[in-house]
Formats: sequence, C-alpha cells, structure tokens
Amino acid sequence: MALFEIFDPKAPPRPIGIDLGTTNSLVAYVQDGKPQAVVDCDLEVLVPSVVGYDDRGNVFVGRTAQRRALGHPKETIVSVKRFMGRGASDPETARLGPYEFVPPADADANVVRFRVYGRAVTPVEVSADILRVLKKNAEDKLQRVGGAVITVPAYFDDAQRQATKDAGRLAGLEVLRLLNEPTAAALAYGLEKKQDGLFAVYDLGGGTFDITILVLDNGIFQVRSTGGDSALGGDDMDRAVAEVLLGRMGVEEASRTPEVVRLALDAARAAKHSLTDREAVELELPAAGGGSTVVTIERAHFEHLIRPIVERTGVACRRALKDAGVAPEELDGVILVGGATRVPLVRRYVRELFKHEPLADIDPDQVVALGAAVQADLLAGTGPRDEVLLLDVLPLSLGLETMGGVTEKILPRNTTIPVGATQTFTTYADHQTGFELHVVQGERELASDCRSLAKFTLKGIPPMPAGMARLEVTFRVDADGLLHVTARELTTGIEQKVEVKPTYGLDDEAVEQMLLDALDHGEEDLAARRLAEARVEAERIRFATERAFVSDADLLEPGEAERVEREMQNLGEALAGNDASAIQNRVEELDHVTHAWAGRRMNRAISRAMEGKQVSDVEETVAGAKGVEAHLAAEQASAHGGR
Amino acid sequence: MIDPFDTLGIAPTFDVDLAAVEKRYRDLSRVLHPDRHVASSPAQRRMSLGKAVEVNEAWRLLRDPIRRAEALLKRHGVEIKEGSEPKADPEFLMEMMEHREALSEARAKRDKEAVLRLAQRIRTREKAALERLSSAFAPGSSESEAIESIVPVLGELRYYRRFLDEVSAIEDG
Repeated sequence: MALFEIFDPKAPPRPIGIDLGTTNSLVAYVQDGKPQAVVDCDLEVLVPSVVGYDDRGNVFVGRTAQRRALGHPKETIVSVKRFMGRGASDPETARLGPYEFVPPADADANVVRFRVYGRAVTPVEVSADILRVLKKNAEDKLQRVGGAVITVPAYFDDAQRQATKDAGRLAGLEVLRLLNEPTAAALAYGLEKKQDGLFAVYDLGGGTFDITILVLDNGIFQVRSTGGDSALGGDDMDRAVAEVLLGRMGVEEASRTPEVVRLALDAARAAKHSLTDREAVELELPAAGGGSTVVTIERAHFEHLIRPIVERTGVACRRALKDAGVAPEELDGVILVGGATRVPLVRRYVRELFKHEPLADIDPDQVVALGAAVQADLLAGTGPRDEVLLLDVLPLSLGLETMGGVTEKILPRNTTIPVGATQTFTTYADHQTGFELHVVQGERELASDCRSLAKFTLKGIPPMPAGMARLEVTFRVDADGLLHVTARELTTGIEQKVEVKPTYGLDDEAVEQMLLDALDHGEEDLAARRLAEARVEAERIRFATERAFVSDADLLEPGEAERVEREMQNLGEALAGNDASAIQNRVEELDHVTHAWAGRRMNRAISRAMEGKQVSDVEETVAGAKGVEAHLAAEQASAHGGR
Repeated sequence: MIDPFDTLGIAPTFDVDLAAVEKRYRDLSRVLHPDRHVASSPAQRRMSLGKAVEVNEAWRLLRDPIRRAEALLKRHGVEIKEGSEPKADPEFLMEMMEHREALSEARAKRDKEAVLRLAQRIRTREKAALERLSSAFAPGSSESEAIESIVPVLGELRYYRRFLDEVSAIEDG
C-alpha cells in the first residue's frame, strides 16, 4: 500500500459492490483483477448496519450508532433489513425488539415506519443512511465512485427488492444491478478456485436464509434453484437466547423497557459469538430488583435453544435440491456464507444434510461483497471481458388472483430471469372500460396466502359488448428480479395505460419527495444531480456508438452513417452545455437514428453465437485495455478542463 | 408464443440432445443477456432484454417434453392448449381418479410410504408415455397418423404431471 495517495481529479469512476447486510454492511472494489474490501477510517471492513437518530437531525451510522444504542434504544434502528418491503402490520413488527412503530393508518399501511423523535422514518431511508456511509468510505479510498451492484437475499420478493433499489437511489448511487447474495458468493469462490461443477451455497445471515444450487461451467454461473426464508437468521438465535436471559434477570413481560430488551439482545449476541469456540460463557447482567446476576450459558443449552431455527433451514434445502433435480451426493461442494454459519451446530447440520465438508475459506462476512465487486466491474466494462456470466432465477412464483381468490401461476419459481409471460383477458360487462389485476407472489393456492405485490388497473378500454375486448397483459421480470407490466387491447391495438398500486413499499412520488428532502438545497441539488446523471448516460452512449462504428460500420446502410454522425455531433454540443433535458433529448434522437442499426448488430451477434464464435473476442480488441469508465473519465476530465 | 427451435437455431425434432441445446442456450445468453449491454444504447438494452427473455423462454420450453411436443405440433399447424384437448379415454380417467383418491387418503393418513409408492407407479407410466411420444415423432411415421396418436399421449402426460406436482406439494408439507 502506498504511504499516501495523491488526489487525482482525473481518477476514473470506479464501480463498487455493496453487501447491505442485516447485521453488517460493507463495500468492495476490484483492484488489479482482485476484489478487495474497503476499510474505513478505523481500518474496519464491516460497518454495523445500525443507524441512530437524535433530536437535532443528526444521523449516526455503524459503531457510533451501536455505542448509542443502549442509551437510545427506540431511536437506534438495528437489523433494518428485516423490515424492508414490509407492511406496517407485518408480523415482523411484533417480534421482540425495542422499537416504536407508527400505527398503521390506511393511507400508509403499505410501509413500516419507525417513530423517532416524533418523526416517521421508513426502512428505505434507514438503509439509504447506511449506503451513504459506504459510498463515502469508498470515495475516500477510490476518489470517484461509479455504478454500484447491491446484493439482496435470493429469496427477497419483488417488494423487498424494489425497496433496496429505492434505498440505493436515495443514497445517490447508480444501481447497476441487484445481485442475489448466494450468487455473488459463488462468483467470488468460482473465480478464486477456477473449478467447474455443481455447488450449493448455504447463506445464513443475520436476518435472512438462502439456499442456492448452481452449476458453474466455463465461466457461466447458472442457478438451478433457490429457496429460503427472508425472516430467518442469526437474529432469531439472539432472540431465543435473550428470552432466556430476560427470564434469568427476573424481568417480567410487562416491565420490558426498550433499554432492557436492547441489553438482553446485545448480551445474547455476545454469548452466541463466544460459544463458537468455547463450551460455556458467563454473562454478568443487571437483575430486575437491583444489583446484578451472573448467568452461565453452556453450548449444549445454546444448541438446544437454536436447533428449531437451524432445522427450519433444512426444509428449504431439501426443496431446493428437489427443484434442481439434484441428490446431495452429486454436489461438488457446499459453500458457507453469512456470519451465522460460524455457529458450530450450523456447520454440523450442513455437513449432515449435504454430506460434504462445507467450504468456508473466504471470510463468510466478506465473500458476498467481494462477489458483488466483481460483478460491478464486469457490468461497468472495466473488468476483463472474459466469459463470466451469471444466470439467475425468479425465487418465488408470480401469479394472478382469479375468480374465487385462487392463484393462477403465470411464472413458476426457479425460472431463469429475465423472463416474460403473456396472458389474455376479456371484459365481463358491456362497455367496461377498466380492468383490475391483482399480482401475487408465492407458492400457496389461495391468493390471500401469497404475498400481494400490486394491483394493476388497466384503463381506457374502448367500450364494447362484454367478452369482445381482448386484453393482452405482458409480465416481464428483469435481470434485477423486478416485475414490470404492460398491456394492450388486441382488437383495437390501443396500448393500455397501466396504473400500478404497489401493495407494499413506496410509490415513485414518495421516493422523489424523500430525495428532495434528503438534499440540502432540495430542487437545486436535485437539478445538479439530474444533469450529472444525464451526462454519465450520454457519455456512455456516445462511447458505445463510437465502439459500434469501429466494429460494425459495415452494417450501416447508405445515408445512415451521416445521420448517426450528425446526432453524435449534436449530442456533443448539448454535452458542452448545462441543460439536462437538452442532453436527454439528444440521447433520444441518437437512440432513434441508431435503432435499426442496433437491430442488425444484435442479429449479427446472434448468428455468430450460433456459429460458436464469440463476439466478445471482437469487442475485446476494440475496447482495448481501458474500458468504458476509463474512457468516460478521460472525456469528462477534458470537458471540465476546458472551462 | 415463440418457436423455441427457431429461437435457439435447433433442428425441430422431439429427441433433442439436451446438452447441445443447453450449450447453444448459454452461447446465446453470453451475447444477449442484459448484463452484456449495461453500457449500450437504450435501444440496444431494450432489444437485449427482449431477446434474452425469448432465449430463456425457448430453453424452458425445449427441456420440457410436453412443451417441446406442443411446439413441434404447432409447427405442423396443430395448436393444443391445456384444457382444449379432446376428452381422454374414460377408462384412463377412471383409473387416474382412483389413484388420486389413494393419494388423498395417503395424505390424510400421513402415510409417506404409500405416497412414495404411488408416485413411483405414476413415474413409471410417465416414462412409458414419453417413449411412446418419442416413437410417434420419430421420422418415418406418417404425419397425420402421428399427430393423431400424439394428442392423447400429451393429455395423459399432463395428468401424470399434475399428480406428481401434488406429490411434490405433499412432500413440501
């Protein structure tokens, strides 16, 4: 490591990978082809996912917040991830914890809100506060931060994913991709070990459990199946132990103050950590009537307490193996991820279940962020454009509520994403002009037992007799695992307006408002941010077009090259100014004139792939060693230098 | 619905080499997956997403024998959808009903052994039906004759699949 680093204004923006964990969060980047974690000013890698607020609007994140937690239990949010994408009356809010929640009112029942000094704070905002600190730590190290890959539990549903993406946006990050945590871990392991085969990733974190079965073949990481429980983790072990501690301390159910609950939870966690390599632990705790009491917890007792939690993971594991059509003996290895896999009972259980000695040689707390950094590097085009590709799946079936409240599955779980499905509906009343669809996610037969994602209202259907209109609704799940819905009326060809009412989470307006509130100079800062975003996007497209000129100029039709060049020039002129909408308009124009050409290039790529040639070989020579972001930086630096 | 054989550029036969199809699927994914187009123009990103969806769908259809058969029939202008197929043989229906009753009985009694036994019996029949399907599609059999014999087998296979799905649900608890 250099003794000191000189600030370089031309430093290229560097892509980062973020593990936004239940207990700890961290950020990593790729340096010289190797992923590494960012250390903060205290030389620590892990930032505790703890956020504290005071009555003067200050925000504390990480260890500082952790230290304040005992004194301010209600105003210190721990394990916020468990509340992401959940409704105000979700069972999660009723578990042992020190928080005060804003009572669910009809209007905002779709989001959990913590009450902090009379203010209501959503999990998205709390997560954004953690992300801001991670971004800052990365900037201290890398000077400029580019796009980010943020990891999510594979078993996160659509609402939880959307909430995570909103948090990234709120923190001012360009979210390149949401990446499933087990897949990220597999990526880190796969690149280190360079061994093809069939693997299981067992990821038991602070609040979530994932099991993923995937095959690694020649750089392709293809997920076969995934399963889990997005409310199961090390926290549940802490709660089980804390209940015992509260009993030994003589604290009655009624006299559980937020302070004593926080204390018991912290002591339980410390006991769990100690029992990893010790047979017994002694805890000195305050007694209810005054004074203190010494409580001894033996490992056998601890294991007895947590066994039901550990065994719950087995159900998901067996199902994932069955869905993948794999017997444990066929696996080539089992990878352990997440801090809770340090618990000896968990390791024994995994060994018995999968009949393999589990691998844990990459730090289970860091492996996810390291994999995310690799993926960010690949997506940003700075990484080696070799043959690495992740093919992930939809974790939970998507369905529609039909007559009688029964779920009709439209996309089954474990379908490779991106994926689409089309369904046709008809009107049931004369002159019906609207249609409502209820989208749910889950495996249960009744829609009310599944998780409600959103209600989609189709509007503007031309009045027709019942049964005449034919509505074609297309569901598409993108590579982030997020659902998008479009609709068309087939007899008239009219594109339908789709109004989405998310059942859980925030709508676009609410996120926009939070964005405004979070910035010091509201509108002004937001405008500056929009301009910066428009610039990055425009530069990227300019670079992509230039690259296409080198590789696929032969596919241009007469006159087309001139039109493209003219629009490139126009875009260049717009970029010299400071008008975000002018830049966006020029990007759209360029997009328009390159559309047909892009189609021809795509077809060429397809036929080459069918011939077995790899297009990346061609692109490699074109892009050279620099990559997109480096190119962008050089351009931006020269543009700024001209002022 | 897309034609999965055309999408993946695979010869339209029932007895496909799934390993080769999967390799083709992966080769196409390498160039079409949205991860490969993050830095491209919006038009190209949309296009890559659309194509990646098609390629994923094609692979999903082709590795499932029922859907593969449906796709082949569709190429011959025969469109069969679940529910619209001709009525099954009453004797077969009766037999399936008995099996389903036995399954619900085993479920109610939590008799795991019986569930497994029933599942095994259906799997054996499924395998035989798949073999019949394969020979019906084999080159040499006359087209109209083949299609006539294929449709009822597909209906049969769907019954088996629903039965096995139910078994799976019982196993999941």
